[in-house]
Amino acid sequence: MKMRIELKENPRVKEFKFILKRIRDNSLSIAGLVLVILFGIIALMAPILAPPIEGRDPYIIPRSGYYPEPQPPSPEHLFGTTQGQYDLYYGVIWGTRAAYRIGVLVVGVSVIIGILVGSLAGYYKGVVDEILMRLTDIILAFPGLILAMALVVAFGPGLDSITLALILVGWPSYARLVRGEFLRISAEDFVEAAKAIGCSDLRIIMRHILPNAIFPLLVYASLDIGSIILVAAALSFLGLGPPEGYADWGQLISLSRNWITGTANNPFAYWHVYTIPGIFLFLFVMGWNLLGDAFRDVLDPMLRRR
Amino acid sequence: MNSDVLEVDEQLKVDNLTVRFYTYEGIVKAVEKASLHLRKGETLGVVGETGSGKSVTALTILALTPPPGKVEKGRILFRRNEDTVINILNLNELQLLRIRGREISMIFQEPNAALNPVFRVGDQISEAILSHRKEEIISRAIRIIKKEIEGEHASLCSKLQLWAYNKILENEKKLILRIIQSIPILKGCIRKKLDQVLREEIIRLLKLMGIPDPERIFNAYPHELSGGMQQRIVIAIALACSPTILIADEPTTNLDVTVQAQILDLINRLKEKFGTSVIYITHDMGVIAEITQRVAVMYAGSIVEVAPVKEIFKQPLHPYTKALLESIPRPGSPLKSIPGSVPNLINPPTGCRFHPRCPYVIDKCRSVIPELIQVSRDHYVACFLYGDGENG
Amino acid sequence: MSVSLRVYVARRLLLLIPTLMGMTLLVFAITQFFDPVERASLYITDSRQARFAQEIIEKYGLDKPFYIQYFNWLMQVLSGNLGWSQSLHMRVLDAIITRFPATAELVIYSAPLIILTGIYLGKISAVKRNTVIDHASRVMAIIGWSLPSFWLGIMLLAIFYGGLSIFPPGRLSVWAENLVRSGEFETYTGLYTIDAIINLNWPVFLDAVYHLVLPVITLTTINVALIMRVMRSSMLEQLGKMYVTAAKARGLDSKTVIDKHATRNALTPVVTLSGLLTAGMLSGAVITETVFEFKGIGYFAAHAAVQLDIPAVLGFALFAGILFIIANLIVDILYAYIDPRIRLR
Repeated sequence: MKMRIELKENPRVKEFKFILKRIRDNSLSIAGLVLVILFGIIALMAPILAPPIEGRDPYIIPRSGYYPEPQPPSPEHLFGTTQGQYDLYYGVIWGTRAAYRIGVLVVGVSVIIGILVGSLAGYYKGVVDEILMRLTDIILAFPGLILAMALVVAFGPGLDSITLALILVGWPSYARLVRGEFLRISAEDFVEAAKAIGCSDLRIIMRHILPNAIFPLLVYASLDIGSIILVAAALSFLGLGPPEGYADWGQLISLSRNWITGTANNPFAYWHVYTIPGIFLFLFVMGWNLLGDAFRDVLDPMLRRR
Repeated sequence: MNSDVLEVDEQLKVDNLTVRFYTYEGIVKAVEKASLHLRKGETLGVVGETGSGKSVTALTILALTPPPGKVEKGRILFRRNEDTVINILNLNELQLLRIRGREISMIFQEPNAALNPVFRVGDQISEAILSHRKEEIISRAIRIIKKEIEGEHASLCSKLQLWAYNKILENEKKLILRIIQSIPILKGCIRKKLDQVLREEIIRLLKLMGIPDPERIFNAYPHELSGGMQQRIVIAIALACSPTILIADEPTTNLDVTVQAQILDLINRLKEKFGTSVIYITHDMGVIAEITQRVAVMYAGSIVEVAPVKEIFKQPLHPYTKALLESIPRPGSPLKSIPGSVPNLINPPTGCRFHPRCPYVIDKCRSVIPELIQVSRDHYVACFLYGDGENG
Repeated sequence: MSVSLRVYVARRLLLLIPTLMGMTLLVFAITQFFDPVERASLYITDSRQARFAQEIIEKYGLDKPFYIQYFNWLMQVLSGNLGWSQSLHMRVLDAIITRFPATAELVIYSAPLIILTGIYLGKISAVKRNTVIDHASRVMAIIGWSLPSFWLGIMLLAIFYGGLSIFPPGRLSVWAENLVRSGEFETYTGLYTIDAIINLNWPVFLDAVYHLVLPVITLTTINVALIMRVMRSSMLEQLGKMYVTAAKARGLDSKTVIDKHATRNALTPVVTLSGLLTAGMLSGAVITETVFEFKGIGYFAAHAAVQLDIPAVLGFALFAGILFIIANLIVDILYAYIDPRIRLR
């Protein structure tokens, strides 16, 4: 016999509306949302905003020559060129897409692995929990950047290595989070009740615990995207990323290092080379951080009702 | 019941208090025109279910309404001494500091939540005593040092202590004092005598509370003690300055029945000794019967009935009071609960807030809010069933 | 130190061993990505030995099963042999030891600045919640947190060094460098500022500080947000607790309640985070050091990574791991000291 309990308003919908309101109320989060959407549009419209050359990997930046000195913005090159005559405009536009690609991939896969591991550990507890937690502990025993560096060196430099390394370094945090939530929720009465009725483990996990545990996870995921991109850009900056000429913000910034002193007359002659890619990166990360911050504020029950 | 001034024998009066909480979900009308008065030397019980507004009222008496609450209307009249009556809600922060913990003290439901977990118990009591009885403690310390100097027992620090204490008595804020106090060794030196005096005083206080092994307790952390012991400490702190009024917000609800009896006994003894008037908040009618002289019944933010304790039990007038008494489990008789549920305070029922659950409801109840009226010498009730046309 | 604290410390020290083992296992697992010839470089102590790859493979059993290799490798590591670094032309262990003081110098000045500023900002943010001060500090913190450290470094260099010709990269100017290398200057710690003080050599001291300004500002700006955020939420949590209301009800003034009671409790998670942050920076503020050519272990780790110098990178990783674990330990003990309730767990 199926029982249906009618509620005046689905509590999840109510939660969601509450979040929207909080976001609306806070101008910082709106700014974050705007930035994230803006960059999203740029990423989606990359082929239109900066048409790639036929037959080539669109992520390779077209170059007009091999002259090392960067050229200032001009009608042909909206943002000028960087060292080696790579078109900066093209670079940052497709760099946006690259950023989203890495971000979504890394966070997406990390979250999935994290959920798998975390739910197993948090639900079955005991030995399974111990083993899995030791594993996460070991990985978390390293500062992320260093471990990622070591992994990238092991895999060989390149964007894929960075992606893989960041996934491997990132999933333990999610696993711990999910595990914590599982432990907390498993202790609740309704889980006991479900077990008593005879629900299968999988069903309990999927339908009862997971939906409740997901929320804090989303918060951390959104906060994380910003950090992931920063680390990925840092690794590219160091030279462990894609080869020169690839549309990658970190790459572009590292290319700008030689030009910070400018010319004899004008110390800021090459300002576009280091400022523009940096601003893109900075605003992208800040947008996600603002959004994530808003989510977190909302999630914190103590701060909520005020 | 709207007199401008307190009666001679009244210690405290809450007059038409309205407190509202501004939350996301709406405005919670937690306390609505609540009035009660406390007489000198008595124990007034305040009964009500969870959510009736008892704790909010209690905290408001000390002007500690928790945010996002705001006092919309009302006065809290306090008789400080023979000729001074003040409205607590009109005081500024500095004046309030003199009242809290000194003239009016409060103890709470969760004893270990009321004590700071990272400081030792002795330190916390010292802090409280020092903040209110500073002159007394310092004077005592000075006297002891002077005696020691005369009797050639002076220690290295004595001169410094004497100088520092005198300076503090004159004026706390002297810059040079603060500078010296920030140097750890000198600070320790200055504190030594004070700590000694405080320790003596506290041990004396603890013994008074009937706390065994006071030396060990002094050095303990709150979590190392049992609930009952913690509560005794909290009471010790509350009564350390012989306050005029003690507000007890369900202090025994979380304790064992046996411990509860001890605590109640302690409160009574101290009340006799210090002459304190007590407001005792609870939802347990048994406790009410045991220690109170008068009772105020609170429902959904208002006081619905006030009467001497015997009359409340023998002749409850308000339908809610009646239902409350009937719902006390009795062996042999079936369990009776009050039908319906506690009202939503964001959208409370119109008129009398109890009307949806009242077996005697009449039309008027749905639209007009009844006021507390006097039906006999000391018995007040807010219900249209009583009174003669003035209210109805 | 009370008994309960001692017991707690003992327990944690015991737990140290499996954690260290696990960490070394992970590092070793990474080495398995390389073929035996490459891995041979982990065991040699100078460049000439590289020619004897085959002998090395046999000696350390690099083609034998995992656990035998692990054991051999562990023994080498414990005896101080971390291999030879091609890119740095020295033993990895030596590289770490000689380069570490530079990083330490950077961190000694940055960490207190970060922690104290973060605590202060977090505290005012919480106490003056939702006022202009709160919003302003939060915005500043988020900006700092979102800034890519390498970009901030580059921008600062472009403005100050490029534009104004002040605050150049590196640790010391050329003249100071020469002075330090010469016999006239006694090197004690490897931290130029401290050594300069001991040598009573003010010009070198000032020069070192001069070179520290931008890197310290960069590190601080990026990391303050982290501490501030945690302090803020921790304070807010404490301010809502019952004992704060009870303390106010006892008549304690706001200053005492906030500064003494609430702050003390609020500091505990901040302490943990600060410790981990400092450890993180010590194990190589890789980016900042690279941008400013500040030759600490981070700088050389990056250098080595690009050259695919496996022993060096792994050596640094191992070092970072150990540092981190020790930092965790210290932080846990500190935590137990601050909050007596933890000791029971």
